[in-house]
Amino acid sequence: MPELDAWTYLVAVLCGGLVGVDAVSWPQVMISRPLVAATLGGFLLGDPGAGLLVGAVLELLGLRHPPFGAARYPDTGPAALVAGAAFAVSGGGVTSLAVAVSTGWLLGWVGAHTVHLLRGLNGRLVGQPAPLSVAPGRLERRQRLAVGLDFARGALLTAAFLVPAALVIRVVPGSAGGPAPSVAAAVLAAVVGGAAGAAAGGLFGGRRGWLLLAAGGLASVVALVLA
Amino acid sequence: MRLARKDFARALARTFAAQGTWNYGSYMAGGLAFSLLPLLERIHAGDPVGLRQAMDRHLRPFNAHPYLMPLAVGALARLEFEGEDPERIERFRTALSSSLGAVGDRLVWQAWRPFWLLVSVLAYSLGLGPWAAVLLFLFPYNAGHVVLRAWGLRRGWEEGLGVGRTISAPWIRRTARLLAGVDVVLLGAVTVALVAKLQGGGLPLAARALVAAAMAASGIAWPGVVGAVTGALAALAGVVAWLPG
Repeated sequence: MPELDAWTYLVAVLCGGLVGVDAVSWPQVMISRPLVAATLGGFLLGDPGAGLLVGAVLELLGLRHPPFGAARYPDTGPAALVAGAAFAVSGGGVTSLAVAVSTGWLLGWVGAHTVHLLRGLNGRLVGQPAPLSVAPGRLERRQRLAVGLDFARGALLTAAFLVPAALVIRVVPGSAGGPAPSVAAAVLAAVVGGAAGAAAGGLFGGRRGWLLLAAGGLASVVALVLA
Repeated sequence: MRLARKDFARALARTFAAQGTWNYGSYMAGGLAFSLLPLLERIHAGDPVGLRQAMDRHLRPFNAHPYLMPLAVGALARLEFEGEDPERIERFRTALSSSLGAVGDRLVWQAWRPFWLLVSVLAYSLGLGPWAAVLLFLFPYNAGHVVLRAWGLRRGWEEGLGVGRTISAPWIRRTARLLAGVDVVLLGAVTVALVAKLQGGGLPLAARALVAAAMAASGIAWPGVVGAVTGALAALAGVVAWLPG
């Protein structure tokens, strides 16, 4: 089982800053998506595949929350990085996966609250046009400061939650494939299915949405059977 | 004065930070003014009053989809360049604000991004390595992303006030709708493949698939708490029925 040493912790915190700032502030190339951030977290702790599995489930959960305007949605970058890293040190097991996904989802909403606070601060930075239009250099400095603050926000979230998440996941009963995998497997399947259904409703509502979702599922069943 | 290629390049690079100062009062106006600044400084070279008035205009509330914001930057720079009436610029800004948001949300957040995410998760579920799956998402997605930004800036500058025609072109709506349909098919395939991948022992795969299907059915019919509760009950019934004895 890989260990979380000081150097890895530092790199993870910096990566947390990067995936935190990417979601909204700069440059929005989607390294903040759970699929990428959780894989990165898993990689830092020695198992990118474990990270990606967490990221894939979180991705389905997040599909229901597109970042429209002022809507609140989970801040997936640092949360997925922490969850992916935690699952990588857990030793595997479906119960650990369920715990890692829950951790990532909860942290995502904690992150959403910090984004809300940062947006309030941004309002103070650029809310008054007069001083900025007189001295455009001030606008440039404040724009860069805001991006820097968002980086710090992601880094702090990662710094605060990485170690607790890695510790908690190791003490969960059945985390190494013990007594409760059936329940955990059922819960995860329910979560994935529910998330997919809700996301499908948002992407393509109505009866056609049902049919398209069923067609995709059926195609996958056929592929699995043939394989 | 002429705007140089490097002015446009600087403006384009700055649009990547367009939401850096996003807030609940002026939304992304700070990012718009920040992106426009290299062009406005050239347009109003030697005219500090003109530059200040232009900055004042563009620091007023504005919102758009971040990837389509360069379209607004190009078009607004064009109007400033042509010395358009400030009131007309303001009306044009307001009109752009709502339409760019709606089009971008539909085309990017609800079609392009889910498409590449789901392709990537499906490929991973079917055996692709983790980094290959991540790159399968990042490269094609961002190829489209960067091309969209560059195209938007160019198109905005070329068309100025006429950019509304580009935004409301029927092919954009049709493409978004088509891609969203493909996304839902992929979503169905990913759900089954991912549930199959969640190996935990104990619960048979068919029971897990049943649980997922029940939840998917309830989730699509009644998203939210009601769907979750009814789905959970349906799932529980499915599992109990499946268990031996």
